[in-house]
Amino acid sequence: MISGTATTYIGRRIPLVDGKEKVTGAARYPADLRLPGMLFGRPILSPYAHARIRAIRTDRARQVPGVVAVLTAADLPIQPEPTTRSRLILARDRVIFRGQPVALVLAENELAARDGAEAVEVDYEPLRPVIDPLTALTERDVLVWPGGVPGEKREDADVHAGPVNAAEQTAGGNLAARSTVGWGDVEAGFAQADLILETTYRTQFVHQNYLEPHAAVAAPDPLGGGITVYTSTQGQYIVRDLIADITGLPKSAVRVVPLKIGGGFGAKYGTLEPLAVAAALAVRRPVGIALTRAEDLLATTPAPATVIRLKTGVRRDGTLTALDANIYIDSGIYRAGISGIMAMLLGGYYRWPNLRIRTWEVLTNKPATGAYRAPGAPQATFAIESQMDELARRLGIDPLEFRLRNVAARGDRIPAATERRWPEIGAAACLSVVQNHPIWRDRRRNGRGVGLALGGWPGGLGPATAVCRLEEDGTLQLHVGSIDLGNGTDTALMLIAAEVLGLQPEKVRIIFGDTALGPFAGASGGSKITYTVGAAVVRAAQAAREKILRVAAEYLEANPDDLELKDGYVSVRGVPGRGISLGELGQRTYAGHRGLAPIVAEGESSIGRQAPGFTVQVVEVEVDPETGLIRPTRFLAVQDVGRAINPLTIEGQVHGGATQGLGWALMEQLVFDEQGELLTGSFLDYALPRAADVPGFEVELVEVPSELGPFGARGVGEPPIVPTLAAVANAVRDAAGVRITELPITPERLWRALR
Amino acid sequence: MKPAAFTYFAPRGLDEVLSLLGQYGPEAKPLAGGQSLVPLMNFRLAKPRYLIDLNRIPELAYIRREDGVLAVGAMARQFEAERSDAVKATVPLLVEALKLVGHPTIRHRGTVGGSIAHADPAAELPAAALALGAELVIRGPRGNRTVPAEDFFVGPFTTVLAPDELLTEVRFPVPSPGTGYAFVEVSRRHGDFAIVGVAALVGLGPDGTIERVSVVLCGAGPTPIRARQAEAALRGAAPTEERFREAGELAAREAQPASDIHASADYRRRVAAVLVRRALLTATERARERR
Repeated sequence: MISGTATTYIGRRIPLVDGKEKVTGAARYPADLRLPGMLFGRPILSPYAHARIRAIRTDRARQVPGVVAVLTAADLPIQPEPTTRSRLILARDRVIFRGQPVALVLAENELAARDGAEAVEVDYEPLRPVIDPLTALTERDVLVWPGGVPGEKREDADVHAGPVNAAEQTAGGNLAARSTVGWGDVEAGFAQADLILETTYRTQFVHQNYLEPHAAVAAPDPLGGGITVYTSTQGQYIVRDLIADITGLPKSAVRVVPLKIGGGFGAKYGTLEPLAVAAALAVRRPVGIALTRAEDLLATTPAPATVIRLKTGVRRDGTLTALDANIYIDSGIYRAGISGIMAMLLGGYYRWPNLRIRTWEVLTNKPATGAYRAPGAPQATFAIESQMDELARRLGIDPLEFRLRNVAARGDRIPAATERRWPEIGAAACLSVVQNHPIWRDRRRNGRGVGLALGGWPGGLGPATAVCRLEEDGTLQLHVGSIDLGNGTDTALMLIAAEVLGLQPEKVRIIFGDTALGPFAGASGGSKITYTVGAAVVRAAQAAREKILRVAAEYLEANPDDLELKDGYVSVRGVPGRGISLGELGQRTYAGHRGLAPIVAEGESSIGRQAPGFTVQVVEVEVDPETGLIRPTRFLAVQDVGRAINPLTIEGQVHGGATQGLGWALMEQLVFDEQGELLTGSFLDYALPRAADVPGFEVELVEVPSELGPFGARGVGEPPIVPTLAAVANAVRDAAGVRITELPITPERLWRALR
Repeated sequence: MKPAAFTYFAPRGLDEVLSLLGQYGPEAKPLAGGQSLVPLMNFRLAKPRYLIDLNRIPELAYIRREDGVLAVGAMARQFEAERSDAVKATVPLLVEALKLVGHPTIRHRGTVGGSIAHADPAAELPAAALALGAELVIRGPRGNRTVPAEDFFVGPFTTVLAPDELLTEVRFPVPSPGTGYAFVEVSRRHGDFAIVGVAALVGLGPDGTIERVSVVLCGAGPTPIRARQAEAALRGAAPTEERFREAGELAAREAQPASDIHASADYRRRVAAVLVRRALLTATERARERR
């Protein structure tokens, strides 16, 4: 759509429209909200990963001054047993992960709630937990869900990458699901191979660690039977449907108002809202719950740990013959639902003539796992891109050359339940850019190691609408329902509208609509907002432009085809001085001048095909072999973005994703002991990379236009985290001469490998 | 509010502090920079009933050169010490250690005395105090006493301070001219507590052999540990890499590290040996430059 055309505003480096209010602290988040009569909730979290609840004594807590109520599962006027990760309600009878809420103290202020929480006494009978996923597979005595895994409904299932999970089968015991995809005959493929490499890769639980812990406020409607929820979410309609489902209220009686969000990264598709709503309905007062960082680390939905066994066959000349992969996903208490995407990416980057990928989603007594920026992709890519690097080294072929020779392109098959093939993708284009870049060309001239990795993300889909209104002052109000996670989608949508309309970007104002006000947008996930909502904005702006020209033509007594709209001014081509500014036009329409009516226009889109985004990252590291310390010294990211709507914010996305990838590779992990206790329950022990821990990032954007995205754009948010883990491992291999197959690559892990 | 309820005092003078400590001692905590105490209170791992805020007592916030001693008042901010010309000129080891303490924002609040009194075994300042042979001036209801650093640290987060006593001053003997120094550590990220760290001082004699030496490990035991055997082996020896390697091995044997989620005892011990060698090399180089 309108790709390849010359543009005025698209491609400019425009700072975030809401950046100032955020850095000055003016932005308001759910934890800032105070409603009249509002109670503050403090959850009591289970200290055990698996236990029977014998009794909960609340009398002492109720006597704490300021405490209004102490709720347990029995007090909640909703379906009591939580069934998906989007429903962090209260445990009934038993707890199945450390950190599961068992009771909720409601008080007039935060301090009283916390004091009350300390006074609640819970009598547990500890039970043996299942913690290790491979043990859990064969465990018959301890089951996370003895009565069978509950409802398969997952609120965010359609957000990420579409329906790739069709081949998954549900299973028994602690196995939540398994699947097999592939083609050809892997045994025959291995028989043709000159080199067969078998490796097991391991990644740990990592947490999204958005700046803002989960928070929600629920307020029962004082006049009717409805409820309003103020929350920090990536998908207000998903939360609305979830609340309607658990309360039995019609969707129209549930209003979800997303406030500013301090990052989501996949974790905010409804978590705390059901508990806030249930509590508010129980006491008929507004209830606000804002988790502390420690509670957030315990109770919310981190990315799953994985064990990935790869067997690959390759001929001496670098031709791939077969890939056989077994992926075990430590899902926590509910299935993670990322088997399909992991198989698709692990087997889809390169042309394998024979392929078999089997997946196991295993349940353990650990927190429910959730989506984290390109869910499943960093783990799958760590495995396959480490493996490809090792194959190249052992064959004596340049790792980049080896990839270029085998990389997938348009028309190549993707491992999936139903036959799928890649559309136009930029994987090879990104590799080619790296080939000529000095960081790769001149590597190993300074004693440091350099590694690269390829990564991709299929992109998102879905319907969206947008509305444009021309105001009396000549500004344009652009109404959208998409949530800007801080990544700059509002700024991108503003630029798109400005471009189509011929209006300066600063004259476009984004108006965000909650579920009651609309317009509709899908959830902010899967790298899809600019791609899908942007397409609706193009249509709305085109429609507004046509109306403006029609009205202006009437006013200027000219033919609409002779009019030109530029920088907020409509002029008649070839007639200097004859024209009208949008401000004047706006005024006249709002005054009903000569029967003119205000200009409002809608646009809608329903994109049904994804536009995958590929990226190649190159990392240079310095390694201290005596201590195992690893310091990333240089970083190049080359990413196909289809069309760079706003290079400044895209680069910001690359910096952020790569930083998260560096953390995952080098330091981040949720460590659980054998009893399921979390040993990294605060930022003292859970290490996130800080500014001093990352190198400067060089970013090169490649533009291979997508078929349907606005101006050819592709989703850009998720790809930057995908290859980083593998790129770091490959750089360490290059620098230190050892292949590390388990993350994070802590100093001690590397140090041991070198001994 | 995150912490449990407490009664807050903001005394204006040292006498008032001591009287409050005398009255509430076991249930009270003096608040210096708050960079460790406040998080502990917010997590409710510490629940003092009385909090005695030292931040309004200017008489404790000083850095001054005395005869052969750098005297640092317990409430002198880490950042002030790091920037102080007097500190740079007299005990540059302290500056090098300070740069590894948290981040500038933390060091603007955190105090030299607070860090030493908190006695985190992985912290840099207790190790630096021990390496420099600092003396800790303590005041309490039973009068004043001065305790050498090597007697001050008792165990993890434990010192000889009684609940009604206050650390008021840290006295760093100024090393003789020509003493080289180094503070090196391995931490997960810059600003984190050390997984293991080493403070070293080296003074060379006229013949170029090692005359004075001090080697202290942090993150390698329940308190900062002085590697006495390593020091003894170095005294009078030529400052060669081989000798420093041997000293590292000796120091590693003297270490008493524990395993935790960040590193094993084995790793800490082996890396201590490496860091001792490196610290001694750097300190010697600096000793030569400073002669």
